[in-house]
Amino acid sequence: MFSISSEAKVGLFVLVGLIVLGYMSFQVGQRGFTFKRGYMVEVEFDNAAGLSHDAAVQIAGVEVGRVEKIRLKNGKALVTLRLPAEVKLEKDVTAAIKTHGILGDKYIEILPGTQGGAYLQAGESISRVERQADVDRLLNQLASIADDVKMVSSSLSKVMGGKTGEDSIGAILENTRLLTKNLNAVVVNNEATLRAMLENTKQLTGNLNRVVVQNDDKINQVIESLRGASSQMEKTFTSLNDITDGIRRGEGTVGQLVKDKGMADRLNKTMASLQEVSDKINKGQGTLGKLVNDDETVNNLNQTLGGINKFVNKSDQFRTFISYRGEYLTEKSDAKSYLDLRIQPRQDYFYLLGLVTDPRGRRTVKDITPEGGTTTQITEWDKSGLLFNAQIGKRYQDFVIRGGVFESTGGAGLDFMSFKDRLKLTFEAFDFAADRNAHLKAGGELRLLKNIYLNAGWDDFINKSNQSPYVGVSLRFEDDDLKYLLTSVPIPTK
Amino acid sequence: MIKLVDIHKSFGKQKVLNGLNLEIEDGKTTVIIGRSGGGKSVLLKHIIGLMRPDSGQVLVDGVDMTKLNDKELNEIRKKFGMLFQEAALFDSMNVGENVAFPLREHAKIKEKEIWEIVADRLRAVGLTGVEEKMPSELSGGMRKRVGLARAIALHPQIVLFDEPTTGLDPIMAEAINQLIIETQQNFNLTCVVISHDIQSIFRIGHKIAMLYEGDIIAYGTSEEIRASDNPVIVQFLAGSIEGPIRIM
Amino acid sequence: MRLLAAIFDSLGKSVLHAVEEMGRIILLFLSVLSWMVRPPWRLRNIFKQMEFVGVRSIFVVVLTGMFTGMVMALQGYHGFRMFSAESMVGSAVALGMTRELGPVLTSLMVTARAGSAMAAELGTMKVTEQIDALYVMAANPVQYLIVPRVIAGVIMVPFLTVISDFVGILGGYFVGVQILNINSGIFIKNITKMVELNDIYNGLIKAACFGLILSLVGCYKGFNTSGGAEGVGRATTEAVVLASITILISDYFLTALMF
Repeated sequence: MFSISSEAKVGLFVLVGLIVLGYMSFQVGQRGFTFKRGYMVEVEFDNAAGLSHDAAVQIAGVEVGRVEKIRLKNGKALVTLRLPAEVKLEKDVTAAIKTHGILGDKYIEILPGTQGGAYLQAGESISRVERQADVDRLLNQLASIADDVKMVSSSLSKVMGGKTGEDSIGAILENTRLLTKNLNAVVVNNEATLRAMLENTKQLTGNLNRVVVQNDDKINQVIESLRGASSQMEKTFTSLNDITDGIRRGEGTVGQLVKDKGMADRLNKTMASLQEVSDKINKGQGTLGKLVNDDETVNNLNQTLGGINKFVNKSDQFRTFISYRGEYLTEKSDAKSYLDLRIQPRQDYFYLLGLVTDPRGRRTVKDITPEGGTTTQITEWDKSGLLFNAQIGKRYQDFVIRGGVFESTGGAGLDFMSFKDRLKLTFEAFDFAADRNAHLKAGGELRLLKNIYLNAGWDDFINKSNQSPYVGVSLRFEDDDLKYLLTSVPIPTK
Repeated sequence: MIKLVDIHKSFGKQKVLNGLNLEIEDGKTTVIIGRSGGGKSVLLKHIIGLMRPDSGQVLVDGVDMTKLNDKELNEIRKKFGMLFQEAALFDSMNVGENVAFPLREHAKIKEKEIWEIVADRLRAVGLTGVEEKMPSELSGGMRKRVGLARAIALHPQIVLFDEPTTGLDPIMAEAINQLIIETQQNFNLTCVVISHDIQSIFRIGHKIAMLYEGDIIAYGTSEEIRASDNPVIVQFLAGSIEGPIRIM
Repeated sequence: MRLLAAIFDSLGKSVLHAVEEMGRIILLFLSVLSWMVRPPWRLRNIFKQMEFVGVRSIFVVVLTGMFTGMVMALQGYHGFRMFSAESMVGSAVALGMTRELGPVLTSLMVTARAGSAMAAELGTMKVTEQIDALYVMAANPVQYLIVPRVIAGVIMVPFLTVISDFVGILGGYFVGVQILNINSGIFIKNITKMVELNDIYNGLIKAACFGLILSLVGCYKGFNTSGGAEGVGRATTEAVVLASITILISDYFLTALMF
């Protein structure tokens, strides 16, 4: 009887298994068989995010090799590519990291160099790297954003259009009319008040002028040192002139470069091709050309930028205020000026940095010890001295607590806000020197118009020599206003 | 010579061998009798090293089996042959291969010689031309014969028989007894037989040992045992219900 | 109170039993390793077991592999169609087969077929004193009986897995391309793109581990059988259950380790 032995059966089975395994291995990974063949070149990318070991290397969409390894070198990604011997790369090929489709894998595309040039040898590096902004993907995103905008505007038009929309717009207009009428009445009734306010403003500018005059000397100094600096610059320019003269005469490497005819020719060619490229772009050829010339793209882009702007504004809670405040001290017939920058990272939290001029000047205390005599303290007032404010404030509902530097001394303050922040009552205590009473100040601030405030109060009211009631005006600009001022300045265009 | 010294063995709480001492003479057939489940098979397994005693010594030609490692035990086991109760033939092999197994394992001889020895041993147990049969095709008696042929294949000095006649008809039992006697004489074997078949005991045994409650209570020639007035032996030989051996 | 004590008692006993059993299996494995390197090497026995474990399991493995691949293709198709990614069916089937289902289903089938047979055969040998006979004839049963089975398991299960992977992918191809009209070129291209060599080889390493588990557990249960025919039946059942559970649990850990 013919029978197959166990050994034969097992052998046959194992053989079949090995063939199937070999077939599958060959199908899924040919690299298993081309292992360690071919040659390697290196390329350095700023960012190899998403690129992985064994990622494809393609030329004209044809896979020719694999990424052998990726490692960090001097803060850049050094990628080693394995290529078969029959694929030769010119020295001036360009490598770029690209992506398959929307969610696809990253791969390296090699853009051919000059035909007939020298070839890269094993171990050499590809020096040209293209930083690929994926235009297709960007356009896709722009298009989807444009769709969103279109949807918003269409829903808006639905709201506006029709009978109900018309009615509500009518109502809004009517309200506006009533409002202006009321406003007019307010202005007429308060003419006298307004006049007084303008008078105050005049005084304020006078004060400002005085500040400038007081600091005249210092400004002069600054101008003097600027002059010195510019004379230095002059010398520098002179030596630069010398260098350029040298270049013109053909001295030095740079000079030779400029004089070289071939170099000039090449430069000319470069210019010409640049011209060609820009012409193409103008004509709307190529992706960039289309991007530039296509009105719809531009519109989409504008819309996108608008959206981004809005988004940034909304998300940005960060606000800054600049304010100037002049206080007329009735007892001294002199004015005190404040220039404050208020930085408000959150609604209930701010930093305040400021400069203060005080007619009394800055108080300094000096110890004077004559030879063999007893030490005496002398208090001096430096009239030209600027005082500083540097405070941190935190708001709890209607109260604001401030602390830090008040007029160059340590102190604290408490503000009470009422009538929807139109009225502010404030109390400050600072300059807790041993030899005199603390500097206390109480007052109020009333919002008159959006940017103009009225102030009144009593400064340093427990020091007889220095106490004085005050009245004043302050101007305050929020960053929105500044932004408006800046952005509404017309930018010259052709 | 096999010598058992003060063997203790328990399974869990049950004491099976309790300070057992026994000397088995060379070239003789010693039959160990006792009740079913009385520890006869356990005793046999101790002799060949399948079980190790809790304490005590098993001396085979002066070597203590209980102290040997697997390799040394395998070496000393080549002196032994054993016929199991159900013959314990390998189901997956035919008769010839079963008998050839110990030869293949241990004798460094050619295949042709192996088959000559197999045929010779099978002839010795009264079988011819059964090499190609599978164990499942054989009757109980034939299986025991094949088992005996396998046990003596390597020409051992000692052969152990675990109830050789159990489950056989009287004629076949007698044939097996005859075979044991002949084999013992032909190969000059030391035989250890455990049995409770009274007829066989006196037929084949030169010496008889009675195992009772974990110890050998009597040891002697057939005549001595037959003449014993030990009530346990009397009751056992008579097969009587009345006596010191209690039926559980 | 006494009931509570009894519950804890039995719980403790079963945990202790499980730990003890695990320890015994590991000891058996060590003993298999040590006997594996000692001559004589019983090539005949190994081949016999390889035939039994490998060659005779081909039919059942091909059948399960093929239908698993077909079902995966069918199920995957309905899932991927929601994302218009029907062409991914091929790679889903291929990855699923090579990484998981190939090794696991193959070893479960081999457990049911050969692992149980090992337990039954060794169990029968144990209760009919054939294993004692081996000892008596100075042939170590671990070396004679268990080593060839374990070797056969470790070698043949991976080969069966290769076959299972392959026919599974074929089955998926048949359903995907012939029945569900997925483009055949894209189907195959996605397979070759998504499946890595490591997927196949890690699957085979798993299969080898499972082969070890099923043969070792089968042999252990058979080798420790007691109680006659009933004991053999119990050993067989326990072997299949224990081996299957161990395979599935170790699959998790092997997967966590590999992928």
